[in-house]
Amino acid sequence: MSTSVANEGEKMRCTVMLKPSKRGSSLLALSSRRSFTFSGSKILDRMAGPTPRQVVRVFDEENNDVTPQPFYRTDLGAEPGSRFLMDELSAGSTSDQTTFTGSFTMPFSRSVLGSSRISSQSTIESVNEEMEETFCRRDFPFNLPESLLPDEKRKRGSVKEQMTQALLKGIKDILITETDTITLLDIPPTLVSVNADDADVIIERNKQYSEVCRNRGNNEQYVERGMQTLNGATKNKQIQNNLMLMVDTATIVSTFDMYAPPEQEVMVYSPEKKQTNDAETVVDSRRSPERSLSLTSSASTVISSCSLKDVETVGSSLNTQVDFEFIMMSDQFQYSLLLMERTVLRNNFQNQLAAYRKLPLLEDPDRLVKPKEEEQSEAETSCSPALQCLWVFHCELSRGCRVSSMAWNKKNPDLLAVGYGETDHRNHEQGLVCCWSIKNPTWPERIINCDSAVTTVDFSSNSPGQLAVGMCDGSIAIHNVQSADNKTPFISSRECAKRHLGPVWQLRWNQQELSFTGEEKVESLYSVGADGRICKWFVINGGLDCTDLMKLKQMNNKKTAECVLSVLTPGLCFDFHPSDSNIYLTGTWEGNILKCSCSNGHQFLETYRKHLCPVNCITWCPLHPDVFLSCSSDSTIQLWKQDCINPLLSFTSNQPVGEVRWSPKHATVFGAVNEGQLEIWDLNSSFLDPVIVQPAGPGLKMTSLLFASLTDCVVVGDSDGQVTAYQLQNLHVGESSQGDIIQDLLRSASPKELQETLM
Amino acid sequence: MKPPAVFDFQAEVEETLKRIQSQKGVQGIIIVNSEGIPVKSTLDNQSTVQYSALIHQLVMKARSTLRDIDPQNDLTFLRVRSKKNEIMIAPDKDYFLIVIQNPSA
Repeated sequence: MSTSVANEGEKMRCTVMLKPSKRGSSLLALSSRRSFTFSGSKILDRMAGPTPRQVVRVFDEENNDVTPQPFYRTDLGAEPGSRFLMDELSAGSTSDQTTFTGSFTMPFSRSVLGSSRISSQSTIESVNEEMEETFCRRDFPFNLPESLLPDEKRKRGSVKEQMTQALLKGIKDILITETDTITLLDIPPTLVSVNADDADVIIERNKQYSEVCRNRGNNEQYVERGMQTLNGATKNKQIQNNLMLMVDTATIVSTFDMYAPPEQEVMVYSPEKKQTNDAETVVDSRRSPERSLSLTSSASTVISSCSLKDVETVGSSLNTQVDFEFIMMSDQFQYSLLLMERTVLRNNFQNQLAAYRKLPLLEDPDRLVKPKEEEQSEAETSCSPALQCLWVFHCELSRGCRVSSMAWNKKNPDLLAVGYGETDHRNHEQGLVCCWSIKNPTWPERIINCDSAVTTVDFSSNSPGQLAVGMCDGSIAIHNVQSADNKTPFISSRECAKRHLGPVWQLRWNQQELSFTGEEKVESLYSVGADGRICKWFVINGGLDCTDLMKLKQMNNKKTAECVLSVLTPGLCFDFHPSDSNIYLTGTWEGNILKCSCSNGHQFLETYRKHLCPVNCITWCPLHPDVFLSCSSDSTIQLWKQDCINPLLSFTSNQPVGEVRWSPKHATVFGAVNEGQLEIWDLNSSFLDPVIVQPAGPGLKMTSLLFASLTDCVVVGDSDGQVTAYQLQNLHVGESSQGDIIQDLLRSASPKELQETLM
Repeated sequence: MKPPAVFDFQAEVEETLKRIQSQKGVQGIIIVNSEGIPVKSTLDNQSTVQYSALIHQLVMKARSTLRDIDPQNDLTFLRVRSKKNEIMIAPDKDYFLIVIQNPSA
């Protein structure tokens, strides 16, 4: 509000009237004297209030309207002097910086002044004295219509006239009225003035309080008492502690660790037991979770360091021994041993097994091959048929025992059952049956001790684990080879009343279709024994019982009176027809071959007479339905056709032929074994001589023969308990259907041979 | 019935171990328990300790590799063929059975 130009204010002594008014405009003049102080001090509070209703106009001593003009003129029809004032203001503003600063602070002060109007009731004298004196209000806009305050306007006009006339004369009175008090800060004091209204009350209260304070010392109500807290004396004590060893361990957790819960692991590792060993496995499974956790989740480096330390410090402790026994108990360990043994052997027998399985031989890259060996191997390869010895099944147990019979397992072609026993001697020796696996030629998989010498073995087709064993004392036992614990047979015919009185010469499992259903194949065990009976066995009440199928009556006896007792002739062998299971052939001690039927127990269908000595073996050709071979102790092998009384072909050998077998793959190949040698005949090549002759080892007699079903190998048993596996090489056999080959052969050969054999 | 069966197993196991040891080319057999401590061995102490510690790590790695690929799979047998010999390991959660063989010897 004090916008009078300082310089002009100094010079001029005109009076300026300042008057705040609530309405309209007011002419304000500011005395020069006061204007000095005010303008010099640059106090904030000199600004005008923002109320629009009051207009403050400032005139200098020359009655110039020096009211600062707003930037925005609301009324252009203002006094003509206003323009002049504005020019002056602008001139003043440029010349003097101080006043302009005042103008800058205008907005703030206006707001302050505006608020002061509200709080004008303040009673506190905290406002600056200067502020009180200088407060006045200023208004925006300065130009107000003159009609609002006509008296002021007149005054202004009169003042203006006087200014022009008597500038230096007279002293005008200034009426300054006070604005409301503005409270900027209000902190109520705790001090009260003595002159205040309620000072007396306060003084009284103070007195009372001081009185109380004074009386506190002697007053009974107040007892002064001292307290002391006891601070114990501190004492230093030193202790010594073991060094805390810090060990860093780390582990790598893989998805495997996170995946398998411990319960599942126990179940997974429960082995498929062949032995029933429940107690041990229960213990095993209980201990396994802890061990599995310790095994799988511990860091391997820690284990290795631990183990080294333990071994060094502990040495051979009882702990390891207990552990070893515990490990040994587990079935899994035994299985691992089995696996390991087979693997080790497979390494050793790699070539032989590959040859057996007809796999290409892999050259061992690390083996040092001497050039000399290479030359030899090259020279020996020839195109003639030959036998190559692959391996020999033999072990300590079977040493010295004579191999009496062999049989392949129907389901697992790698499993071979071999029966050992001396059948010639009548002293009842213990017999032995060993089940060998090709994967382990050094030790049999199963060892079955029998009460007497074993004469025949055969595996069942329906239940491949059952092995029927026929013995020298006439009893038949059925063993289950799947369980390792085979001390006692599954079933035995010892208690059977109708059992064979003499040695059981051959056993055969045969499947027969039931006549009415036609679908089921019931398998029964048939046997032929030295008492001349052919029996069919079945299981009743945990034991075997039999029914007689046929009694082999003597046919060649001339004097019936002598042979009253032995009406029956021992049957040595028999074989069922491959397709028609009702028909079977039997060879007898007399040398006759009888064709019988299961349904007819009294009569023979056919009798084939040729052999002069006991017929040792009869076998049907698996590839041709009507052809069968027979061999006998008269050193001949006869080839028969079913409907022909006389044999079609006959082959001579140098010694009594023990066994003859057809090859399962080639219809023209068969093998025969006599005591001195193994003969392989090929009808394609020659009728007179065997194609391959393998002499027996020195002092050994070959006793039995079997062809391997899937490969070109034969197994030959001998009198020392050894079973040798040979591979047939370079047998030239045709590719066309095998049955046709032999048919043609027979047709081509029969007229010639018939003439030859006719005596 | 039970006691003789147990005894038979022990005897059988011992016999089997002897048979394996007597096969051609077998250099040694080591049986290690689940903590990595060799329980039975036909080699000298130094080699035994070395083999058991190293092979344990190898088997752990092999097993975890297999099971990372397929968590339902598990290691049943491990054969390591080297220039001089072959190491065959049958692992289980309770033991390791290690056989070292030189097949061409």
